[in-house]
Amino acid sequence: MTPINAVEMRGMVKDYPLVRAVDNVDFTVEQGEIHSLLGENGAGKSTLMNILYGMTRPDSGEIYLAGQPVQIRRPADSIALGVGMVHQHFMLTPVMTVTENVIIGNEPTRGIFTDYKKANAEVQELIDKYGFHISAKATVESLSVGQQQRVEILKALYRKANVLILDEPTAVLTPQEVKELFVVMRELKAAGKSIILITHKLRETIEVADRVSVLRGGKMVTSGVFAKDCDASQLALMMVGRRVDLYSTRRSQVVGETALEVSNLNLSRRGVPILKNLSLHVKKGEIFGIAGIEGNGQTELIEVLTGLTKPDSVTLKKDGEPLTGKPADFLSNGVGHIPEDRLTRGLVVPMSIEDNVILGYHKRPAFSRRGLRRTKAIRTYAADKVKEFDVRTPNAKNLCSSLSGGNQQKVVIARVFSQNPDVLIAAQPTRGVDVSAQEFIYSKLLDLRDMGKAIILISADLDEVRRLSDRVSVIYDGQIVAESKADVWDEMEIGLYMTGSKQAGEETSE
Amino acid sequence: MKQRLKSLFRLEDGGVLLSVLSLIIAIIISGIIMAIAGHNPFTAFRAIAIGAFGSQRAIANTFTQATPLIFTGLAFVFARKAFVINLGVEGQMYMGALGAALVGLMDLGLPAFIHLPLAILGGILFGALYAGFAGFLKVRFGSNEVVATVMLNSIALLFIGYLTNGPLLAAGSAAAQTERVLETALLPRILPPNQLTYAIFFAILACIFMKWFTDRTTIGYEIRAVGLNKKAAETAGISTGKVIFITLCISGAIAGFAGASQVLGVDRRLIMGFSPGFGFAGIAVSALAANNLLGVIPAGIVFGAMRAGSMELARTTSIPAEFSDIIQAMVVLLVASPLLVREILKVNQVAKKGGRKLWKLSSKTSSPS
Amino acid sequence: MEVVIQNIIPILATAIYMSTPLIIAAIGGAFSVRSGVMALGLESMMMMGAFGAVVGAYFTGSVVLGFLVGTLGGMLFGFFHAVLSVTYKVNQVISGIGLNLLALAATTLSMQLVWGNRGMSPLVNSLTTNIGGFITQIPVIGPILAGQSINFFVMVLVVIVSWTVLFRTRYGLRLRMVGENPKAANSIGLRVHALKYSGVLICGALAGYGGAWLSLDQLNVFVRDMTAGRGFIAVAINILGRYNPSWIVPCALLFGFADVMQIYLQNAGIPSQLIQMLPFVVTLFVLAFGVRHIRAPAGVGLHEDS
Repeated sequence: MTPINAVEMRGMVKDYPLVRAVDNVDFTVEQGEIHSLLGENGAGKSTLMNILYGMTRPDSGEIYLAGQPVQIRRPADSIALGVGMVHQHFMLTPVMTVTENVIIGNEPTRGIFTDYKKANAEVQELIDKYGFHISAKATVESLSVGQQQRVEILKALYRKANVLILDEPTAVLTPQEVKELFVVMRELKAAGKSIILITHKLRETIEVADRVSVLRGGKMVTSGVFAKDCDASQLALMMVGRRVDLYSTRRSQVVGETALEVSNLNLSRRGVPILKNLSLHVKKGEIFGIAGIEGNGQTELIEVLTGLTKPDSVTLKKDGEPLTGKPADFLSNGVGHIPEDRLTRGLVVPMSIEDNVILGYHKRPAFSRRGLRRTKAIRTYAADKVKEFDVRTPNAKNLCSSLSGGNQQKVVIARVFSQNPDVLIAAQPTRGVDVSAQEFIYSKLLDLRDMGKAIILISADLDEVRRLSDRVSVIYDGQIVAESKADVWDEMEIGLYMTGSKQAGEETSE
Repeated sequence: MKQRLKSLFRLEDGGVLLSVLSLIIAIIISGIIMAIAGHNPFTAFRAIAIGAFGSQRAIANTFTQATPLIFTGLAFVFARKAFVINLGVEGQMYMGALGAALVGLMDLGLPAFIHLPLAILGGILFGALYAGFAGFLKVRFGSNEVVATVMLNSIALLFIGYLTNGPLLAAGSAAAQTERVLETALLPRILPPNQLTYAIFFAILACIFMKWFTDRTTIGYEIRAVGLNKKAAETAGISTGKVIFITLCISGAIAGFAGASQVLGVDRRLIMGFSPGFGFAGIAVSALAANNLLGVIPAGIVFGAMRAGSMELARTTSIPAEFSDIIQAMVVLLVASPLLVREILKVNQVAKKGGRKLWKLSSKTSSPS
Repeated sequence: MEVVIQNIIPILATAIYMSTPLIIAAIGGAFSVRSGVMALGLESMMMMGAFGAVVGAYFTGSVVLGFLVGTLGGMLFGFFHAVLSVTYKVNQVISGIGLNLLALAATTLSMQLVWGNRGMSPLVNSLTTNIGGFITQIPVIGPILAGQSINFFVMVLVVIVSWTVLFRTRYGLRLRMVGENPKAANSIGLRVHALKYSGVLICGALAGYGGAWLSLDQLNVFVRDMTAGRGFIAVAINILGRYNPSWIVPCALLFGFADVMQIYLQNAGIPSQLIQMLPFVVTLFVLAFGVRHIRAPAGVGLHEDS
């Protein structure tokens, strides 16, 4: 008797106005396996899984769960059928408690009232069963990112999910937390659950998955091969469609004087200290990388370094001269900025590429004379930059909203790099872009560094920090807790610093 | 260019087609209400058309009504460029009227070519300052500008009521109004005895100027950036508070101009309650204009015609003039909901297959669902 | 000042009386905002409530039915607001403003059509049931309650029930979840649209009742633009009251107090228009200095698929 597949999707198609996101895809997951769904940003993995979870409706295709054909119109349907999903961007309500987030939709009640006593007990029991070490009564905003992810998993388990979809679950975790997650995943598998792991990371696929399917450009290029038979370069080839250089880089040759120096940086919000006596410096011709789990003060640090936030105290020197003022002063003093989120801070998406490529520099004499815009000069400039930075668009007059994520990021890069900054604050420079845009941005950053510019790289992507930085540091709880030359620490060691479980100077006890 | 033209006629946010269809739907619905209320809608529409365009006097009336509507519509649209909802246009217009009246009542022995511009300037200044106060509250204290400007409207109206009943009350007048402004401060009339003044040209020029201002000046660019993404603008070194404050001041200045043009042109004095809600009608104008600065001109004329026509309606028939207010309110709602307009058209199409042309337009643009 | 101290009990009594419709309407606003829909259309819902109440009372002769029709009138506009802003994803500010314009036009037109008078409706029966009996004998509380209408109890009931529903029931938790994070609510299978509709409909009902209070409790007639900005004051109270019934009550009392002070100041010889500014000036002050650090639900204005 052949085993019944937990999930079977046949001939799935989903069209969006400009693109066919999922193109006639078949996908099968067996009961009790961990199945990795591999693909680049925009390959269609999330769309396919959103279809399975009922967040997106397909244009055509059939879905079978445990051999039965099913109609999934909305998440309520898939939940009822035993499908649970842990979203990459957590679907949690920060101001509410763990219990409230977990039980909602399936609340135990007594009469007309919610039975919080019973609910707390049930949720705590579940937490203890899987060894999650959180309190059911804690508010979600007080939890670490890794713990929040467990709340997401709890939501699915509370609903007795049989098939669990994990969407890029490791993107926000430290290497240690990733290990713990893998342990949890194996436990769930042992309990007979099927797990779909959406990822673009090859190593974790090989490490934890039983089988792999690879999506590229909306098409299934490889379906259900055994993970243990694959190696990373093979998978990369399938995922990207060409040979890619995953690890190469180059280190700084000439390091000059200190370009930017920060000391005694303190910042509190609503009485809570966020940045605590933080100090750092970056030299000319060097990339100073700051790794860390999100929410340890990175955003605030970026805001201080770009003039967006005035801290309680700071001594900020550029080339030995004090640097103060508003964002405009920082920009005019040669401090460039790649914002961590291009959609909220980086670009005015409903404006044209032309308008965006001068944003922040629009008062410079090249673009403005006596309060009037130099339209022609701007047009020529924008056309040049589109070409130079390989922004894929027919016309620079088009709106930024018409561009893909990678091309939008290139507009941000073009804007900053073209104005010759002495110091660059680069935050999450390749978040959410495809591999080719990533390669392009990396090479531009290294070129800028080699021109003798100073770069502070702040990224949640540990691989990125390790690959590009000449000096690596870790931010934890508002402080730079450790710093080292490139290629000294291994991944696990940085991870220890990221969780604060190891302080600088301590010996690693192996 | 071709693409831009095409997009104008697509049924979506900011398209001409959406505005026109919304207007038509609003008129049809009001016609249905009229019919239910026992009036013949065609009699009504005919009376409105005659009142709006039937004679030289009618056309003059249309443009007289359009003048303040273009100003107030422009004030609203311009504020929206910085994503500010200036519901205080009515109050700013009243304060502008006060400023113009104060200067216009002063006997400074000035010739008209100085006195009149000064009086207009007085109106602009008062309007700008009053809106600036709301801007200050928003920028400094983060007050919601919608609620703040509505409160300021009430305060302005009560304040003007106090002045026109007390300190500024014309001697021997039973109504709450000031003395006539001096001859030298009056806006000349184009077709006397019709009330239409040269202010209509100022209104139209104001729209063209503001369009140029937002497109071509650096501050205009900053206003657009702030309106479309405040955080990105802030990151780019733009002082968003300053930009919002300036935008509200300019919006208030335009509203103040509207008040000045009424006092110095139409009424020739400050009368309590001189505005039958021009400020709020400006919201409808801005909606019909699809928040397009130049679109304000035709939109203002359309509503001016409706207003002039509905006066004729009230004069010659027993049909209430409030129908034009209903149409205005529905235009605001319909233009804001392209999805709804699409669906209304679909229902129409199912009901009768005759209206093929309309359907073709809508089916081209509606998404498959 | 002396006058105020001497008359503290009647002043308090009147303040509570005057704030009754504001409390009820602002709590309505809380249901709407908690579900993630801005409540700038409160003015229109109160207006329809005031108008509907008079229509109901005029045609049935019954004050109770008047309140019922007023409540339904508010719900009708709540329904419109929900259709526009939830189903058709209209900008909630614009939808609110448009409905305010529509309510003013519709009530004026209807008065013209029904009674041939665009300014004022005919007089109708008004609520005359005042609190009496043993309650008025209680010291301090007694005299304060003596002048109140039966709507005082309605208000108290609304406050208690609303708070319980919002913070102690399954429905309340789901409603707040939708307002905080509609995407998350959708992802665990909640009916986001239905919940938002319910929040806005409750808002319409309560605002409608508050409006009915204006025309049937305080007065016995509907006049053009009867709410005259009270809906916006209720919006401000709702914000200041942190979208929480138990906070809304003291905030609304502040406004009731400002209303009462008008009456006392009027006797002091200050021109009436200047005195009438008081509640509006208070609102401005409160907006400027009172609303910092108030966190609105994170999902206001968002849709489950945006």
